[in-house]
Amino acid sequence: MMLSPYDFNEAINQRRDHAEEGLRQGSPVAGLSLDLGVLLITVRRTQRKVYEVYDRMMLSAVGNQSDIEAVRIGAVDVAHREGYQRSPDDVTAQRLVGFSLSPVLKELFRDQWRAPAVVRAVFAEMGQLPADDAFFTLNYDGEFVRSSRCAAVAGTPEAEALMAEELAAVPSDASLGDAVRAGLLAWAGAWQAVTSDPGGRGQAPGAPAGSADAVGTLAEQLKDGRVEVGLLDRASRRESRFRRLGEEELTDVVAPLRRGSGE
Amino acid sequence: MRGEPTDLRSAIAGPEPVLALPVHPGMSAGAPDAGHGQVAHGTTVIAVKCIDGVINVGDRRATASYSVMYDQAEKVLALDDFTLLAISGSYARSIEVVRYLRHAFRYFERSQLQPMSLDGKLSEVARAVAAGLPMAMQGLGGFIPILSTWDPAAGEPRIFFYDAMGARFESAEYGAAGSGSVQIRGAFEYVVRTKSPFRRMPRADALREALRLLDIAADLDAATGGWAKVLPLARVITADGIQDVGEAELRSAVAGLGQGEATFVADRG
Repeated sequence: MMLSPYDFNEAINQRRDHAEEGLRQGSPVAGLSLDLGVLLITVRRTQRKVYEVYDRMMLSAVGNQSDIEAVRIGAVDVAHREGYQRSPDDVTAQRLVGFSLSPVLKELFRDQWRAPAVVRAVFAEMGQLPADDAFFTLNYDGEFVRSSRCAAVAGTPEAEALMAEELAAVPSDASLGDAVRAGLLAWAGAWQAVTSDPGGRGQAPGAPAGSADAVGTLAEQLKDGRVEVGLLDRASRRESRFRRLGEEELTDVVAPLRRGSGE
Repeated sequence: MRGEPTDLRSAIAGPEPVLALPVHPGMSAGAPDAGHGQVAHGTTVIAVKCIDGVINVGDRRATASYSVMYDQAEKVLALDDFTLLAISGSYARSIEVVRYLRHAFRYFERSQLQPMSLDGKLSEVARAVAAGLPMAMQGLGGFIPILSTWDPAAGEPRIFFYDAMGARFESAEYGAAGSGSVQIRGAFEYVVRTKSPFRRMPRADALREALRLLDIAADLDAATGGWAKVLPLARVITADGIQDVGEAELRSAVAGLGQGEATFVADRG
């Protein structure tokens, strides 16, 4: 079968639409690099959403659970083989995403005979110094973007931009509680942007952090959602720096937000 | 269609195994000259329980044949937050196996999203010991560990030791491995029967007894180091995890052993 350039573009766009459609309803994830460590903050329903990848690396994603799982476990495989055969120091998010994950996702996306992976993932890595922290957001088509201070993954580009803007305002010396609170409000803003724009094409404005809108949305979503936070702890002396914080450990922050209180 | 894996995970990770237990090359190359092999063996490592956990002590000497290769070897190594492996036998093999086990435990937890069970960990260690048996038979040096851990289900410390073929045994009080462990075996029993079971001793007492036993082993076994140059290594596991016994505590424990002055024996000839 001959494919004309037109067919090729058409096919790619159809695959893109298919993937974007699957990502749209995903619960956003906020990433923050702070003095105390690196955070991934999200709200989940039934499935857990933040995963440890290696000693100083974690992952969260939106998309199909089975595709997220395949990317996650593939990344864990590659990281451990490399860490054992060479050294944990040689396991970096840049290598993992750039050389192991991105090419495979790109090939899969362009392969007409296979379904594309519906996944948008964020890898968070803690460096030796806060300045060396890195986030890599990896898309279903293999494209990836590196950022350092913060990262946002959500169902639409508009929601992501909104979220990133709010996260960039969090000071690097923020306490864990303040950071989680700011991350959750940014999450709520992104969630509003996604849900008020079901087609994903419009320019629906999100609510600025701390506004009654974001607080209300968050309280509403926390009725059947649970806060999940992954922390790479800079102060820890363990080789594995990852710790998953549930609501039990974040009661002081989450309880007021559940009640719909902005303070 | 291309001969590529159809599932995403294999496409990412490739066909090679993620972790494979190390097997040293040249294992079938005939028996080496045991006197001049580059293999470090002799040692003494000791695990004893105490009221709030389990203490591991080990000397710092690594030997090859009659040479002392290194006097700062660490033979009590953490496998995870609550598990210590005290190693004896080939140092190279031990270090490689410990690296393997650390990765294996973490890989299991990260990929399976639940920690490996204690029984699973003990079986992994047994496999690693058994895999070294052919090397041990050729004089290349296998390794025999003692595993100490805090068992959260039972709420108490546990000590396991192995034989050269990988059989696992649990000990209620103490474990010892290495060339110097044979000489002090009876001394453990003597302490338990005349003083107190280790598991009822306060930490300071159990540490002192363990160091005294290590000192006896250093006296009676040429391959076990004393602490004239480098203090022994001591680590403790409690319900809170693993802690190193600090320098001050170690120095005062060693000082408390009351080794007197050396005896002068006159030439009566």
